[in-house]
Amino acid sequence: MGPVPDGARMIAIGGGKGGVGKTFLAANVAVCIARAGYEVVVVDGDLEGANLHTCLGIPPPPRSLADFVANREEDLVKLLVETREPNLRLIAATHANLASAQPGHFQRVRLVSRLRQLPVDLVLIDLGAGTHPAVMDYFLVSDDGVIVFSPEPTSIENAYAFLRAAFYRRMRLGMMTHSVRALITQAMDQHNERGIRTPADLLREIETLDPGEGVRFVSTVRSFRPRLLVNEVRTAEEIKLGFSVRSVCRSYFGLDAEYLGYVNHDPGVRRSVVARRPLVDVQPDCDASVYLQRVAHKLIQGLGAPGVGPELSG
Amino acid sequence: MRSLVDETHYEVLELGREASGEEVERAYRMAQSTYAPESLATYSLLGEDDAAVLRERLELAYEVLSDPASRQRYDEVLDGHDDGGAAQERSLQLPSLESEPPAPEPLRLRAPAALPIEGFTDEEEPDAPYDGARLRRARLARGVEVDQIAEITKVNPSYLHFIEEERFDDLPASVYVRGFVTAYARCLGLDAALAASSYLERLRQHRSEAEETRSWGRG
Ligand SMILES: Nc1ncnc2c1ncn2[C@@H]1O[C@H](COP(=O)(O)OP(=O)(O)OP(=O)(O)O)[C@@H](O)[C@H]1O
Ligand SMILES: [Mg+2]
Repeated sequence: MGPVPDGARMIAIGGGKGGVGKTFLAANVAVCIARAGYEVVVVDGDLEGANLHTCLGIPPPPRSLADFVANREEDLVKLLVETREPNLRLIAATHANLASAQPGHFQRVRLVSRLRQLPVDLVLIDLGAGTHPAVMDYFLVSDDGVIVFSPEPTSIENAYAFLRAAFYRRMRLGMMTHSVRALITQAMDQHNERGIRTPADLLREIETLDPGEGVRFVSTVRSFRPRLLVNEVRTAEEIKLGFSVRSVCRSYFGLDAEYLGYVNHDPGVRRSVVARRPLVDVQPDCDASVYLQRVAHKLIQGLGAPGVGPELSG
Repeated sequence: MRSLVDETHYEVLELGREASGEEVERAYRMAQSTYAPESLATYSLLGEDDAAVLRERLELAYEVLSDPASRQRYDEVLDGHDDGGAAQERSLQLPSLESEPPAPEPLRLRAPAALPIEGFTDEEEPDAPYDGARLRRARLARGVEVDQIAEITKVNPSYLHFIEEERFDDLPASVYVRGFVTAYARCLGLDAALAASSYLERLRQHRSEAEETRSWGRG
């Protein structure tokens, strides 16, 4: 997740579990950031369950990422759809090919580099559920990866599965030697023969095999800063869960995760989805909207003043 | 990325060296709940045995840091002038024993000095007026439940809920409400004068509007 000097900043919103609120959060945070004056493109990364357009109140767009995947359209600017917000555009994921929805590896590389070249300040990707390689790729190449979970065991379980997948992939990418990369691949199998159970076990093995790679492993860990977002909190105790998970990320993975924020459970969310309007539009003063604003505010820190990005043409 | 077992007591509790006694207390309680049996935060990632090891490590850290005398002795060990400089010598010798490339700084050597739950407290404009929702957000950001405030302030928890929800018609005379809001705000360390005056202003407005509607009804 190294920042790229030129090009749009990329933020991915993932978290493993279906239905934890990734799309709702992506839509609302994108609206907040656009209203702060930044040029934003929000991308529906869920080719198998496209619905981001619905949260933004847009009918299913005829053009989408599916056209890029099917090699019908190379120019992402042509896929941009206007929203009700002047600074916010959408790339939808509608009408994907049911036979092969996901882009292949090289297509993903191309997609990501083109997303970065979009003439905007920020690209926000709403990821699908699960840990498909495509999902993990978008998460890992982004400047910020947000992991969404709710205070339920099932959601925590999937969030950790997601984090484990992201962690090992990221570490493997950071290693130079084939033997250490192979070792990491082995460690990704929880029942591996070497008995590597935790990242700390893995580091010990790497240090024995190749101390230089051990050093590289540690610095790769340090450069990986997932951001945690707890959705649907109902009590102060559940808000504290974010700090606890951060602490567990440190003790288990050695990761310095950031607790980005939380959004409370609010029946208004469902009503806003039903009305196909962002919550921050329908109920701008409710607690959940205030929390969404905070999250948006934190995400744009370090982005520079709005309005300095090049103008969109076409 | 050393395991918690190799970390200093401060690192274990995610505290800086300058942490106050109260901060040690709160960090310990927080960590205790994080690694408690059946904790949601460790679910599916840490086995009960792993969590038990971490809990033991926590206890040790807390035992040392919560007692000023033992904390001071520990600090001296960390600073390397406990036993005639033996520790310092050790730390000077260690790196030269290794001919490997220089190790990067250990991960998260120093945790933020602030208490974990305080990471969220100052996100709203400090001088902005308080309404029920802002009081609730401030309470939640500090990790406090309504019942805990009720216990400390002895104010009936129903009234505290009514205050947060701005159920003005269910609240007693304003002189009482002023007392409740002041107690609530003090309990959370908020600006109690600002909280009481701005909340009472909302209450007054609501009640005068209600009064007006009533007199219209009569007229
Ligand atoms: N803070 C909240 N309060 C109340 N309801 C919520 C909240 N967040 C999400 N929901 C409910 O959960 C539903 C699912 O949310 P959403 O579609 O954003 O999940 P998702 O993570 O994108 O799911 P998928 O993985 O299937 O894409 C929403 O339609 C809404 O009704
Ligand atoms: Mg979704």
